[in-house]
Amino acid sequence: MAPAEKKVIISIQQVSKSYQQGKVKVNAVNDLSLDIEEGEFTALCGPSGSGKTTLLNMIGGLDLPTEGVIKLELQELAQLSRMALSHLRRDRIGFVFQAYNLIPVMTAYENAEFVLALQGMPKAQRRERVMSILKQVGLQGLESRRPDEMSGGQQQRVAIARAIVTHPAVVLADEPTANVDSENAEALLDLMEELNQREGITFIFSTHDPRVMKRARRLVYLRDGQLDPAA
Amino acid sequence: MNIVLLAPRNLLRSWHRSLVTTLAMGFAGVIMIVFASLMDGMLQASERNATMMNTGELQLHAKTYLDDPDLYAVMHDEKALLEKLSTVGVSASPRLFAFALAAAGSSSAGVQLRGITPSREAQVTEIHKHLMLGLWLDEVDTEGVVLGRKLARSLNIKVGEEVILLGQASDGSMANEIFRVRGILKAVADDIDRAGFFMLSSSFRKLMVVNEGVHEIAMKRLNQSDTLETKQQQVQDIAGPYEVKDWRSLMPVIARILELADAQTIFMLLITYVAVGMVILNAMLMSVFERIREFGIMKALGVNPWQIVQLVFAEAILQAVVASLFALAMGAWLALLLQERGIDFSHMVSATSFAGIALEPVWYAQVSFRSLALPIVFLFFMTLLAVIYPAIKAALIKPVDAIHHF
Ligand SMILES: Nc1ncnc2c1ncn2[C@@H]1O[C@H](COP(=O)(O)OP(=O)(O)OP(=O)(O)O)[C@@H](O)[C@H]1O
Ligand SMILES: [Mg+2]
Repeated sequence: MAPAEKKVIISIQQVSKSYQQGKVKVNAVNDLSLDIEEGEFTALCGPSGSGKTTLLNMIGGLDLPTEGVIKLELQELAQLSRMALSHLRRDRIGFVFQAYNLIPVMTAYENAEFVLALQGMPKAQRRERVMSILKQVGLQGLESRRPDEMSGGQQQRVAIARAIVTHPAVVLADEPTANVDSENAEALLDLMEELNQREGITFIFSTHDPRVMKRARRLVYLRDGQLDPAA
Repeated sequence: MNIVLLAPRNLLRSWHRSLVTTLAMGFAGVIMIVFASLMDGMLQASERNATMMNTGELQLHAKTYLDDPDLYAVMHDEKALLEKLSTVGVSASPRLFAFALAAAGSSSAGVQLRGITPSREAQVTEIHKHLMLGLWLDEVDTEGVVLGRKLARSLNIKVGEEVILLGQASDGSMANEIFRVRGILKAVADDIDRAGFFMLSSSFRKLMVVNEGVHEIAMKRLNQSDTLETKQQQVQDIAGPYEVKDWRSLMPVIARILELADAQTIFMLLITYVAVGMVILNAMLMSVFERIREFGIMKALGVNPWQIVQLVFAEAILQAVVASLFALAMGAWLALLLQERGIDFSHMVSATSFAGIALEPVWYAQVSFRSLALPIVFLFFMTLLAVIYPAIKAALIKPVDAIHHF
């Protein structure tokens, strides 16, 4: 079977992002171009300060590039209003951060349900989806736990559940395993990989952990805000 | 976003701060309800006292009389007039006025003769209870007169002594008669203190040769729950060519003083609540700063700034609701207690008067819809005002900055 033409869902064209730090201008991302296709399971790797977080934030519309164009599903992010951007994040993007992802006063169930409720999905439908997702991420029976009653690994599972429950175009995860032990890190990666393969969800995650890089199907190396051709 | 679920939980999460803030709001509410009730009580008593000394609530005159108090500017056929007034639910006291010269011993003074009918006057005012020395007028004592406090002093006259009146009667003849002082009034109002010379209207008519008509009819509502406006209208309807005025337009200065007392209540409300507003502002700012990361994540997930504003407002309003319930329960209880018992100042001061208003030594609160509602409305208003800044602060948090914030 000939490989079907895969759809590019994220297109990054000559993007730069600079910060003014006092009198010095820091180029966090420097003239970087990159395409991400649907269904990828991609790791952004590179040393600390290489621009991984900055790039992920820009893809997720949390930050805008100083130069260049980022398109998500053909839509140029810089042209969207604040409101449109927040709707885009709600409907098309799942976020998983390094730690403390969850809303502390809400249970695991309520956290996973949060974005669906924002979308205005009816309660019964939400319930069905959330229960099945929590089961998928292995949190059955912990639905009514608050974040401070769960381990770091369990909290990250809730965060992943919350990210995928809306069927987003892409899940952006910034060092999702950095705050859990290696055993839990492996389990989280198993979960992400399974979701990627079974549900076809596109994952982009950043890491500097070689064991995590090993699990990625595509590796993008960054150095000083640019693709690192040496790696 | 389920604000109804999030707001109370967020408050419970730092329940210490929420409790302190809510109590501060609640106690301010209690204090202001009690204060407003006391002020309303004082206003009502002042209004009552302002009218009950001399003016009454409404007055009827011939059109020109107030501008030019002429002996001839009478309202005719007072019998029929009084008869008609009794049908619209007011008690009425007819009065006659004239100027004359009073002399006693080697002193003399200009006086305002005030001819009244004691039985009728007692239905409208309480001046008969306001004597410093001696007795009030009596229908059988036709030569008895009652004098204002300062007038008695300047004539250097005592109860029981004689006073000679000189004036010009309505027929142009010389009016000239000897009276005997029955009583001397306490301080009432400046014009009465200086020149008030009360006598029976029958004696007045004989002295001044005024056979019919009266100069003034002072009135009081029989039922205090009728509004003064409707009574005024009813009286005007039957009064034909004569002019009805209410006490506010008859005593504009006093009416104004009472209005200012109203403004004073609002001013106190504002000052107290500015302090409470600071407490709210501080508490809500702290709670926003503690949750920078949380708000950042919410926004990354697609919560829009407006929803964050709503959440922060909901948290503040929820505290205001709890505080209001507390303030209403506690404040109404205290104010009702003060309405019943009053605050007794009689060991410090005795009954006096100020600007023609009698002041009683017991201060009663008056609980009304207004005295309960105004402090609560202000509490909410102040809460909403105080939370604007923290809410905007929270709404403008940038996810990128917040996410590094642990
Ligand atoms: N808000 C900011 N203001 C100023 N400089 C910033 C800001 N955010 C990032 N930078 C700079 O941009 C560069 C890239 O930072 P970034 O956080 O993207 O790196 P990273 O690859 O995610 O590093 P790490 O592995 O440590 O998370 C760094 O030099 C950093 O100091
Ligand atoms: Mg980073």
